[in-house]
Amino acid sequence: MRTDSHSRRQFLQTAAFAGTASLVGSFPGISWSASDGTLTVRFDREMESLDPGYYVGGHPPNDVNWCVMPALVHYGYKDGQAIWVPSPFVESVELRDATNIDFTLKSGLMWSGGNGELTTEDVAYSYDRMKESEWKGDYVAYDHVEIKDKYSGTIVLNQAFSPFMTTTLASGTGIIVCKKAVEAAGGRYTVDIPATCGPYVMEHKQAQYVKLRPNPEWTGAKPAYDNIDCLFVTEDEAGALAFEAGELDCAKITSNSYARYQKELPPNAKLTVAGALQYMWMGMNIENPKLQDIKVRQAIQHAVDQASIIQGAYAGTAEPSFGVVCPGLVGRRLETSYSYDPAKAKAMLDEAGVSGLTLTLRTLNAQERVLAAQIIQANLAQIGVTVEIIPLDSGPFWEMGQESKGETWKDLELWIMRFGSGPDPYEPFQWFVRDQVGIWNWERWSSDEFEDLFKQLVSVSEVDERHKIAIRMQEIMEETGAYVWLTHEPEVFIHRADIATQFAPSGEMQLGYFKPV
Amino acid sequence: MWWYLLKRLALSVVIILLAVAALFLMLHSIPGDPVSIALGPRATPEVQAAYAAKMHLDKPLYYQFLIFAGNVLQGDLGSDVFSNRSVALTLSEQLPYTIALAVAALGWAALVGIPLGCLSAIRPNSWLDRITGIISVGTIAVPSFLVSIWAILLFSITLRWLPVIGAGEEGDILSQLRHLILPAFAVGLGWVGYLARMVRASMLEVMGENYIRSARAFGLRPRTIVFRYALKVAILPTITLIGVGFGGLLSGTVFAEIIFSRPGVGKIIYDMVLARNFPVVQGAVLVTIALYVVVTLIADLMVSWLDPRVRESL
Repeated sequence: MRTDSHSRRQFLQTAAFAGTASLVGSFPGISWSASDGTLTVRFDREMESLDPGYYVGGHPPNDVNWCVMPALVHYGYKDGQAIWVPSPFVESVELRDATNIDFTLKSGLMWSGGNGELTTEDVAYSYDRMKESEWKGDYVAYDHVEIKDKYSGTIVLNQAFSPFMTTTLASGTGIIVCKKAVEAAGGRYTVDIPATCGPYVMEHKQAQYVKLRPNPEWTGAKPAYDNIDCLFVTEDEAGALAFEAGELDCAKITSNSYARYQKELPPNAKLTVAGALQYMWMGMNIENPKLQDIKVRQAIQHAVDQASIIQGAYAGTAEPSFGVVCPGLVGRRLETSYSYDPAKAKAMLDEAGVSGLTLTLRTLNAQERVLAAQIIQANLAQIGVTVEIIPLDSGPFWEMGQESKGETWKDLELWIMRFGSGPDPYEPFQWFVRDQVGIWNWERWSSDEFEDLFKQLVSVSEVDERHKIAIRMQEIMEETGAYVWLTHEPEVFIHRADIATQFAPSGEMQLGYFKPV
Repeated sequence: MWWYLLKRLALSVVIILLAVAALFLMLHSIPGDPVSIALGPRATPEVQAAYAAKMHLDKPLYYQFLIFAGNVLQGDLGSDVFSNRSVALTLSEQLPYTIALAVAALGWAALVGIPLGCLSAIRPNSWLDRITGIISVGTIAVPSFLVSIWAILLFSITLRWLPVIGAGEEGDILSQLRHLILPAFAVGLGWVGYLARMVRASMLEVMGENYIRSARAFGLRPRTIVFRYALKVAILPTITLIGVGFGGLLSGTVFAEIIFSRPGVGKIIYDMVLARNFPVVQGAVLVTIALYVVVTLIADLMVSWLDPRVRESL
């Protein structure tokens, strides 16, 4: 006969086993990925604002906005080059001449919340509003929209501005908002969009996810995936591990993971380099007494071994940089006027009469950049220059060269800097014009020729001519001796091999264009 | 007991006030202009000025603190500077995840650690004691983030038994429990060792007491002596340790929340410090400090309830 206590124990054991089995899944090999027609992707940070006028960075707000908000044009690709293509929201977009862009919207595209139809008035309101926003820099060439009728109009520019289509209209700042709803919301918003219009509607839970679900009111072409779950995974390695565990279908990865996966890819995985529109260099403050002599700066240019940095800090995954124009763009250089030559560097230092030079090198406290700094430190030690590395948090780092933020700019000597760019050479050069000295031109040089060329670059549309201008502008920058070009870091994604992906040239996911292979 | 409770409550209020003041000073002494960090490099001077005014950053520090303290006293923790969401709402969404993780981690650690400690103490210097000692020290010594990575590699990537990221589907308890297993394992493993060592040491001390010797002389069963008489006294420092540990985990689970991409208060604090989103950081830390103090208070009350000598010592 069994006692009560014995059967209770048995019951508890059985219950515990059953509970554990149900929790861990009864069978090995279970994937927790949502592969049932739902695309699951990684967002590497939370969204602060989806308002195109008040973005804080382009990703992930652009990823989401392109799914739930209208735009006249989107990014596409032709022969590997990023181009603009008409979006699913328009019947046509045409460049009539250098300052007039005609467009016709599709009819019957409805804003959510009973806010009516998408019309030309919304387009005009959206672009006019951008001129007053934080991103008004993207709209310097925009003048107004001429409204022809409910669906047709013309964007009128105040000057010929060849990058307008790619760097403004196709980018995140080209998003069209609902006039009625945004005005009712007080003129701006954050992550709660007053009215959406697109193939998807969104559900956002802070620090957890954005879920994109089919918009029942959408009358345009349906995207390939009905459901897209965008999970906030802020830690890079956690994102890679989650992909390997089958929980993500697409995840942005770091250089380290890229190098690892190049050697051995997980099953059914594929790597895609979405672009390398970032340029990193080591800058020198030409007004600093230690670096005022151009021979000293040129000696430093010759002393830094770019190949070692790419190999040592980026595991060979980054592209070598020869200027500020990124790979794949008009104006990209393929060589520099200096080369790694420690003997020549030492001779130049001797010629300048400099010995026992000690310099500080400031960098963001990020793994790759600190490694790059350490390699530079070793390189410069070879020519007798002692380098003290100062790793900084993003707060003090981003304001150290700005005159409005204190006196640190006076003490700046060397620093490692990385900027992002759009798909046009105009974008990187804008930060190095004379007006930017003490703002983003921390090297503090200026040149009349550079200023003239910059104006030409903006207005000229002929590709060969723009290429020549951009090349010459980079030569001018290099001749100051204030730049040691380092790398173009790629934006790399790992994704399931049975998914065809599409990315903006700046590395954002164009989720509406993802499809199963 | 009531007088004791009153004194402890008063002490708790003082602790919260001092902690909040210290936090406020430390937060505002972090290098970097919060305006430019929060708004990014493209913000116009007008927008920067508007932000500074909204955040009262154009006012002296003491004034900012008074505004913050005044709002808190009115139950207003402020709003997120980016999304304008109420900080209280954000925390109310995040806190349950952190509490669940802390309870699960300490819960399984206590279920394993306390019996292990008892077993060691019953037969000190036996092979069982030595093995328990090795396990305890081993679990304390292995860093939790390493446990997390190895657990993910084994259970999620190789075996694919358990999920890696997130907190599970809302409304699906089973899914949420599955998502809790690995983080709770990683956070709690070190606590198994702590608790086992603590219980063992306390038990050894108690087992040498006269009343235990008397119990043995009366012929009580060893199990009765250990669990009914010895453990009741030996558990007191462990309760305090669990209380302090639970309070610490309310913000100390940040590594697990980051690695497992779980929502939670620690992760929010970490992200918002980087973004210099001061209202959220201040609100979140205030809430965790208050919870820490409350949990410690509850642990102290439990100890004083079990041991009247404690009540008289304050």
